[in-house]
Amino acid sequence: MNILIPTSWLREHLATKASDEMIAEILSASSVSVEKIRKRNDESIYDIEVTTNRPDLMSISGIAREANAALISHGIESKFSPISINQTINKGNSFPIDVKSDSKIVNRICAIIMAIRVGRSPKLFIDRLEACGIRSLNNVIDVTNYVMREVGHPTHVFDLDRLNTNYLTITRSEKGEQLTTLDGKTYTLLGDDIIAKDENGRIVDLLGILGTQNSVVTDQTKRILFFVDNNNPANIRNTSMNLGIRTDAAILNEKGIDPNIAMTALLRGIELYQDLADGKIESEILDIYPNKTTNRQISISNEKISDVIGAGIPLNVSKKILDSLGFIVEMDKDRLEIQIPVTRADVRIEEDIIEEIARIYGYHKIPSVIPGFFSTKSYKYHDSFYFEQRVKNAMKYLGFTEAYTYSLVSEEKYEGPIESALKIKNPLSIDMAYLRNSLVPSLLQAVEENKKRDLIQIFEISNIYEKRKSELPKETLFFAGILKEQSADFYKVKGLIIEVLKDIGVKDLIFKNTKKAGAGSSIYLGKEYLGEIEVLDTNLIDFELNFEIILKFTNVKKTYKPFAKFPAIHEDISVISTLNTQNLINEIQSVNRIISDVYLKDEYNESRTFHITYQDFEKNLTKDDVASIRAKIINHLKEGLQVQIRE
Amino acid sequence: MEEELIGIKNAALSFILEAESLESIEETKLQFLGKNGRLTIAIKDIKKVPEDKRAAVGMLANEVKETIERAIESKKQNLKEKSLSHVVKKIDVTNPGKAAPIGHLHLITQAIEEITDIFKSIGFTRVKYPEVEWDWFSFTALNFPQNHPARDDWETFFIDERQSDKFGPMLLTPHTSSGQIREMLSNKPPIKMLNIAKTYRRQADVGHTPMFHQFETLAVSENLSIGHLKGTLEYFVRSFFGPNIKTRIRPYHFEFTEPSFEVDITCTVCLGKGCKLCKEGWLEMGGAGMVHPNVLKNGGIDPQKYRGFASGWGVERVLLMRENLNIDDLRLVYSSKLEFLEQF
Repeated sequence: MNILIPTSWLREHLATKASDEMIAEILSASSVSVEKIRKRNDESIYDIEVTTNRPDLMSISGIAREANAALISHGIESKFSPISINQTINKGNSFPIDVKSDSKIVNRICAIIMAIRVGRSPKLFIDRLEACGIRSLNNVIDVTNYVMREVGHPTHVFDLDRLNTNYLTITRSEKGEQLTTLDGKTYTLLGDDIIAKDENGRIVDLLGILGTQNSVVTDQTKRILFFVDNNNPANIRNTSMNLGIRTDAAILNEKGIDPNIAMTALLRGIELYQDLADGKIESEILDIYPNKTTNRQISISNEKISDVIGAGIPLNVSKKILDSLGFIVEMDKDRLEIQIPVTRADVRIEEDIIEEIARIYGYHKIPSVIPGFFSTKSYKYHDSFYFEQRVKNAMKYLGFTEAYTYSLVSEEKYEGPIESALKIKNPLSIDMAYLRNSLVPSLLQAVEENKKRDLIQIFEISNIYEKRKSELPKETLFFAGILKEQSADFYKVKGLIIEVLKDIGVKDLIFKNTKKAGAGSSIYLGKEYLGEIEVLDTNLIDFELNFEIILKFTNVKKTYKPFAKFPAIHEDISVISTLNTQNLINEIQSVNRIISDVYLKDEYNESRTFHITYQDFEKNLTKDDVASIRAKIINHLKEGLQVQIRE
Repeated sequence: MEEELIGIKNAALSFILEAESLESIEETKLQFLGKNGRLTIAIKDIKKVPEDKRAAVGMLANEVKETIERAIESKKQNLKEKSLSHVVKKIDVTNPGKAAPIGHLHLITQAIEEITDIFKSIGFTRVKYPEVEWDWFSFTALNFPQNHPARDDWETFFIDERQSDKFGPMLLTPHTSSGQIREMLSNKPPIKMLNIAKTYRRQADVGHTPMFHQFETLAVSENLSIGHLKGTLEYFVRSFFGPNIKTRIRPYHFEFTEPSFEVDITCTVCLGKGCKLCKEGWLEMGGAGMVHPNVLKNGGIDPQKYRGFASGWGVERVLLMRENLNIDDLRLVYSSKLEFLEQF
């Protein structure tokens, strides 16, 4: 969450000669990030990002305290003056409105009744609010915003006469209840919103978020109920997000504001009403604070501070830093005994204290060291990432382009019955409502996106997701690709797969006719099913393989086969047969061990020509040796397999 | 006989001298040194020479043979060189080359490879953990309070499956930090982990895609300090962005680290002068911090004995920042437009 802070307002609480740029630089390095210094009427406005754990810094006084600590630690003179209130006002039990609160949803309520005069705020006041990005309305409303910025606690103001009630009940809303906020918009509540109801059951406020139209201050307002409510952040977050009302108050309240500053906010507001709106106090102060937060204590050794930071910091330096941040610190030999100020709900453990010391000390002063230890596990060079990268590289050099498509797909892009899909409970759109179980539909979408291209060669290696019973889904790495070209060739895709896998030592792929509808092949490694090549139409072929199975068969072992001492003899045999090529090759090869290689050389109409290599590693083959084996092959094919031989 | 041999030599040398092509030199070679070549026949006749002169004639014949062979070889070489220079003259080097059909790796793949290599060089090993996770690994064990905004339906994708009694709802992990818990539960310190993975958040606009990539480091050992974290991140930044890019860490807040940092680097566009893109000269890179003692505990590691540091940054972010790619809509990175993919 961001806050805009004009330097003049900051310097009201921070006396220093440091330039605006210097303050910004030091705040960024040691506290909150000053993202920009904006200029407005020649004044610097700091645009500051405050982290959600530090709602205490969503205020002028909070930032001033931090800047002061950081400046001093950087050797720059500085003095912080906190908000101080000089008048005493009675607290009592005779508040004119009977406020019933619920300690589970509201931590604290501070309130007072005042008579005021509605008018314009002074120029300085308006300027400051506008510099903070807040529009000035009238002095009564402006005070609530001014206090919120200065002290850091949102406040609210009711028109007492429009409210006109003896009771105020703060309660959780029921689903379906309606209210109209002060900007005239009507909302239907979802339940568990924190609301205030008057004696007639009318909703008169949406606490911590926005006031309602029926009780808001108008130009005619004479008396106000000035109201500081500290609420349960979870309820505020839900209401604000559900209704889409993101007011400054809501954004602050959903982070959890320290209830202890609620009273400071009330007192500062009273003071401002007196100054700006002729405010007259007409009641005692109401303070409902059932569960007071108490101070916590942390003890930490000097050794731990220095060890975690990685620099030796003298104990008295640590103490000084904590003092300047508002901690109450006792030095006890080599330890610090620290009382945590109530505003610092974020500081709970030793490490939190170390952070406070280290950041103000200056992270830039800590020497940088690369940790020299190594894991005791042995280093594996050929891990799964190695093979993944190697396949990606092979694909690239074979002319394919890699795509990254979303894991989330629409119902249409899920393969198979949608009941088996992992469904997103809260999808951003119907296009991304399921986790995919195949990469192919996404790649086909990619082809669609590049419709004008005649040649498309793309691939992706990504996870697919499969539901398992009462377990996390199975995430499996898949490797898919698409070839789109004029008369796309099945054998080109087959050859691509073989070569790419051969490069990582995966051999002996088995290609079978696909069982799926349409043309294509199912691919196996041994008995394991690897995936499919699908011929989608004459111009479009896809393939998808299970990469986890590929990984099981990778082999980086190098083997050496001695060169043949004796020359090989080559010859061709042409056949006509209904058997498939692999079968024929296997049959031919089975005839004799000296048939070292058989491959399909040519295919013409029905006839296929096989190129056969005869190679004996023991001796020179004679013409007679080969002739006799050839005769055996022909015999085996003719007689055993009814293959027709073309001589 | 001697005269005949000298005559053959002279004749051969003048043929060789006049030859203008490799073919004619081959012809000459055949004519003199071939099976029925003039010198070959003459050498056969040496046995007819009287015995006392035979040795001297034999020697001469050998000399003649060698001379002819040498002359042929040198002429051949000469002719080859000439013909090559002829070919070279015909090449117009400014004509377009024939393009080798090389494809393209995705930007993210290229970045992941680099990041992996840089961290590998200082002993971080890449691991892989689930993208679909239980709430416990992504939030609870990382010390997120029950009502943390990241846990609500607005920011994290939840899976419509029965929740686990032990681990809570099933979700798409919004950060690689869930891998910290997985790593600690499956390994004993010392740990030096690099987890790079797809992560998911419920956001889609020019600066966000619902799926993106993060890289997470985790180191756990005795006596680790903020100094070690600084050293590691600075090493990465110098290696990835270049030696002149500076790193600064500044206070931030994460539930799972304490202290927590945001890491900035010198703006790669204005080099630290301050520009539209950066914050007063600095670019925000990502989060880091010392592992929160509760997180160590949830990872089965004794926080009294061990300390850890971790960082989690966006792959897209470091890449786009380094390259100054000027991609004004991050969603383009995950589009499949070849016009985009083929640029890298």
